[in-house]
Amino acid sequence: MQRFLLSVDKLSTFVGHAFSFIIVLLTLQISWEVFSRYALDDPHAWAFDAMIIQYGTLFMMAGAYTLAKNGHVRGDVLYGFFRPRTQATIDIVLYVLFFIPGVIALTYAGYYYAAESWAIREHSNVTADGPPIYPFKTVIPIAGLFLLLQGVVEIIRCAICLRDGAWPSREEDVEEVDVDKLKEMVHVDDVAPAAVAPGASDAR
Amino acid sequence: MKIRKELWFGFSLMAVILLTIVVMTPWGNLTNGHIGLLMLALVVVTIMLGFPTAFTLMGMGVFFAWLAYRSVNPDLAVRQVLDLMVQRTYSVMSNDVLIAIPLFVFMGYLVERAALIERLFKSLHLAMARIPGSLAVATIVTCAIFATATGIVGAVVTLMGLLAFPAMLRAGYSTSLSAGAITAGGCLGILIPPSVLLIVYGATAGVSVVQLYAGAFFPGLMLAALYVGYVIVLVKLKPSLAPKLPESELRVPLPPSLDPLAARRRNAFTGLVVALGGRSFGVPARTVWGQFFVVLLPALAIGSLVLVTYLGATKPAEVVDTSGLQAAGFAADQSQAADEGSANTGLAEPPADTDLQEPPGGESEAKDAGKDKAAEAAPVAGEPTKAAASAADAPQETGGVAATERLPIPNWFWIVVAIAVALIAAIYATLDWQRLEVFKMLLASFFPLAILILAVLGSIVFGLATPTEAAAVGGFGGVILAAAYRYIGHRRAHAAGAATATLRDLGNIIKESSFLTAKTTAMVCWLFVGSSIFSAAFALLGGQDIVNRWVLSMDLTPIQFLLLAQFIIFILGWPLEWTEIIVIFMPIFIPLLAHFQIDPLFFGLLVALNLQTAFLSPPVAMAAFYLKGVAPPHVTLNQIFAGMLPFMGIQLVALALLYMFPAIGLWLPQVLYK
Repeated sequence: MQRFLLSVDKLSTFVGHAFSFIIVLLTLQISWEVFSRYALDDPHAWAFDAMIIQYGTLFMMAGAYTLAKNGHVRGDVLYGFFRPRTQATIDIVLYVLFFIPGVIALTYAGYYYAAESWAIREHSNVTADGPPIYPFKTVIPIAGLFLLLQGVVEIIRCAICLRDGAWPSREEDVEEVDVDKLKEMVHVDDVAPAAVAPGASDAR
Repeated sequence: MKIRKELWFGFSLMAVILLTIVVMTPWGNLTNGHIGLLMLALVVVTIMLGFPTAFTLMGMGVFFAWLAYRSVNPDLAVRQVLDLMVQRTYSVMSNDVLIAIPLFVFMGYLVERAALIERLFKSLHLAMARIPGSLAVATIVTCAIFATATGIVGAVVTLMGLLAFPAMLRAGYSTSLSAGAITAGGCLGILIPPSVLLIVYGATAGVSVVQLYAGAFFPGLMLAALYVGYVIVLVKLKPSLAPKLPESELRVPLPPSLDPLAARRRNAFTGLVVALGGRSFGVPARTVWGQFFVVLLPALAIGSLVLVTYLGATKPAEVVDTSGLQAAGFAADQSQAADEGSANTGLAEPPADTDLQEPPGGESEAKDAGKDKAAEAAPVAGEPTKAAASAADAPQETGGVAATERLPIPNWFWIVVAIAVALIAAIYATLDWQRLEVFKMLLASFFPLAILILAVLGSIVFGLATPTEAAAVGGFGGVILAAAYRYIGHRRAHAAGAATATLRDLGNIIKESSFLTAKTTAMVCWLFVGSSIFSAAFALLGGQDIVNRWVLSMDLTPIQFLLLAQFIIFILGWPLEWTEIIVIFMPIFIPLLAHFQIDPLFFGLLVALNLQTAFLSPPVAMAAFYLKGVAPPHVTLNQIFAGMLPFMGIQLVALALLYMFPAIGLWLPQVLYK
């Protein structure tokens, strides 16, 4: 079972990582667009649509990845103080009550929404001759499916935690506040904190 | 039993809410509107339980929207709910305000990984050595700058906890003062633009992010200044809280090549002039010229500012665009304000030109950004590739435009000139070799970052680029910054192979930053998906109407309403985080503003300032937990909380100040966009 959980985690992570590079593209595209507009006097009509499509795809496709890494914001007044079993009970109930119906509805609605868009080969109407928008709308059901899959895995995790009284492990990933990495950045030794003396001799 | 206490707090809050529901709901005649309010209360309780907020909102929204539609037409209800849902989702996906979030977040992660915070802290600390409580003041300033550039509270507090906290404790500073300075300073990044909070508020309330940025600038600076003022006054009153550092800690080693000069002349400026005159005492001419160029930078910067002021002041009247004038006045104000604080180090000079000390990558950055700041005549905001046009070009361009017909020089211009001359004289009279070294350190750490921020912010506020564009170009600048600092780091460690090592680092940095950006963006934007479905359901049920009618029936004055709203937000800040407060509760407050004739922009500034307290108020004070995570074991969480309390008080003072003098926030947007 643990192998199945981790492989779904890996899938979500892979998808999330793959789509996260869109941010690099987006940065480059907009930087180029600014340069092109001011320096070359050559703005592109499709630039705005391209930006929106990249941004929307980025965050939608990263939803499952974020869930796999437990990255969606939680209200942490009580949760952190509960025992794992209590946490799992709350989670499993609310996954079934809120998450599953919500995401299924989103995927189902998104499927028909995208199908309609495909049927008329919809183009963006932001500019006169906008780029096709139907692939972008297809992102909704696809992201929903990945999210649903990851949600099922999370429910199984809760069940395992209820049985064992401890959370099953997750894959490692980059953390926003990774103390070890940050320590590297500021040259601090736990043994000899004197190394950070202000104005120490290694200033130059 | 501490844990018990925490649980009690949460449970009693929930009990209060549930009890209110039971008592207040008119169970006899339950209308849709009451169900809406019920939903609102339920969602707060459920969020406090700890399930991911985005999906709580989505699930509840779907269910209650279905209830609302069913009461109208049961046959169509399911279809309508599905349509509503997907359309709300798509509107978040194609939102042209939220798109700036991933870009700013990306820029933040890149700047964070440039690994310049250590130098920044060190150089700021040395520059401020004469101020009472210098370590704590330097901590706040470092936090403010770094947090502004990165916007990541957790990382800033952790880094400063590793860097400044041990330094302060070792110097004998009181634990709670040190902890308070770090946690309060680290949260400033959420308020001072470019911040994600203001984008989220702008997207929720339909207020221009550009105006919000312009408006939040001075309140943010004011809060930082209040923190610094508090520390200085406190240390003056009770010197035992922050003992002076021994002189040996403040000595900066001079480069050996300059020793012969330094031994003969105390003042670096005259020393270098004499050396240039031929008596260089064996110091190579190249070194002397290089140092002399660095020394000239403050004068050049002030001179170009004066020039820009002149060009702006005498601009032909038919040119409608007054941004040059505003910019110059604004920039001059800033550098003067900073100079008064620490004139003797000459650190407040925005270097409009680059110099030899500048890192290779940072050079184009600084040049470009300096150009942007010094003269808004240059159209490209922070585009490094275009930086080939040197800073000197900018005034010339302006000169070309303005050469047609000049207005007479106004009298105040001569005052500006006098101040500038006095400043330059003061800087050079007090510039000894130590200060020259400190100034060079600042050039390598403080100015590139400050210029990046000001370039991004300036291009947004003066309308050269949209926030999205500025964020993207800022991200580009972040890559260059990271590359430059990593390269310097590698060069210092071992000269060979520094370039390849830097490239490898850079690849890693971009990869990690992309992953983190994806996660953060997904977190915020899915929350938006959830909340937009939720608020649609709330509106459908007519909960908004009930709230409106109820508030209007109380017959409040605008002032009372503002106080009530801010009080509610303050209370909500204890159990909830800022994202949740803004996306769930702002849609309820915003429609009421029109009735009380309150500017949503002003309300947003108050909210942003108010939510600073959300980070410092226990039990969800994230800042405290990050600091506790890296603090020495003898520092208790209670000491940290105790240290944060005075700073929370200052936040409330700042809130009151902004509230009494709205011009602090509204002056800049009014001047720029009236």
